Amino acid sequence: MAVPAYTPSEAQARDTFLALMWALSYPGRVYTLPADGHALSLIGVTLLDLETSYFTPDAVIAENLAQTGARAQPAAKAAYHFYPVLDAANLDGLHQCSTGTLLYPDAASTLVIGCQIGIGAGYILHGPGILGQQTIQLDGIPADFWLLRSAVCRYPLGWDVYFVDEQRIVGLPRSVQVERSST
Amino acid sequence: MKLADLAQQRQDYSYAFLDAHAKRELRRRILKAIAIPGYQVPYASRELPIARGWGTGGLQVTLSLVGPESVVKVIDQGADDSVNAANLRRFITTMSGAKTTIDTLQATILQSRHRIPEEIMLEGQTLVLQVPDPEPLRGVTADMSKAHQLHADADYGQMWLLLYEQLVRYRQYIQGASYPSLVNGRYIISPSPIPRWDTPKLHQAAHLTLLSAGREKRLYAVPPYTNVYPLEFNDVPFQVEDQKGWVCKTTGVQNKFMNELPQEDGTSQYELSDSGYANKLADTAQSGATYYDDQGDFYHAGYLKPPVIPPI
Repeated sequence: MAVPAYTPSEAQARDTFLALMWALSYPGRVYTLPADGHALSLIGVTLLDLETSYFTPDAVIAENLAQTGARAQPAAKAAYHFYPVLDAANLDGLHQCSTGTLLYPDAASTLVIGCQIGIGAGYILHGPGILGQQTIQLDGIPADFWLLRSAVCRYPLGWDVYFVDEQRIVGLPRSVQVERSST
Repeated sequence: MKLADLAQQRQDYSYAFLDAHAKRELRRRILKAIAIPGYQVPYASRELPIARGWGTGGLQVTLSLVGPESVVKVIDQGADDSVNAANLRRFITTMSGAKTTIDTLQATILQSRHRIPEEIMLEGQTLVLQVPDPEPLRGVTADMSKAHQLHADADYGQMWLLLYEQLVRYRQYIQGASYPSLVNGRYIISPSPIPRWDTPKLHQAAHLTLLSAGREKRLYAVPPYTNVYPLEFNDVPFQVEDQKGWVCKTTGVQNKFMNELPQEDGTSQYELSDSGYANKLADTAQSGATYYDDQGDFYHAGYLKPPVIPPI
């Protein structure tokens, strides 16, 4: 019997998922998304369907995500959040977004945030997936984001975050502790 | 242009058997499992052409990861050639076109029933363990929703009591396979029925481990470089199986996990449980680094401690 066809859409979804999976497994390391298409929409199309909900302030991404069949929800209710840029207005919404419950910590929000990787402020990561420590540089993430994260994310509750810079992606699961690097 | 060029080719199956919707759900769940090490994430668990209880949990995870460039190894109790492993392997390759191997270090995805190989797995490899019973608390509470609440509260007192009672009665921990272990200091998992010998291999491992129970519809993960400690009291350390002096009858090695083969005269012979490793030794007498060295010392020095028998 012939092997079922590995269609381009199949390949794209799988490559995107593997980048997400390894980014979350080895937090702070940079992985690469497939080159075709807008990175945030690509992640949306890979993960979303009619069983999920999303929030994004960006009209173009919203249009792409609507085609997955997922429900558009306000920030407080959405399971998947897509922010091409994280600004002060978005931070207000993040404040309300779900960190899960102790019975169902997997109900927490996943955040996909656009930023610049490899320049800007340095951070030191510790935790599962990291041998010793891992350093990353991120630009375009307001300091208030980190304050909010440490205030509302009480492990095992918390957000799972992906930082995306064009096709590059870095994962930050809730299990990882972040400190600002002094250098 | 002909109509045939425009029409999609006839396909009897989706790639890797599961349809896109099923894979997407499973992939979302896998990501959550990695983010919360040891937490049992519920998932839909689809019908497959093998019966639940025969590795469908592991199979679904493998099918959601596999691609044409993947190299897959499937083992059952350490053996590549058992019926269950051979059938799962054939199904995975028929549905995905992935290559197969029996060499642990060549595999990108290693699906296993009840063993972790002897050779140290590397970064970027995925170990998929088939889990019959994901709930480590089942022995102390039969009610799933109560067990769920106990996990939520990190209330593991009854597990400690169980261990204490074992020490009082038998002066040792008597749990054999699926020894309950604390992951990342938060959740107790059943590491699937791997022998105690394999449990320490999950601690600060370079590879990703995904554990999936198809019948129970739960999956959980041990990410790379994550602390995994078998439950033990400070003064009575956890012990792996004592197989000192057991020598493999074909390769002559010691201090690896052995199968015991009872003989007609009442004695026993032993052979390596990890058949891929045994083949490698037989063919080349070379292998990758192993979790336990030739003297039986574990590669994370100080993790396993000498035995203590508590006083009566």
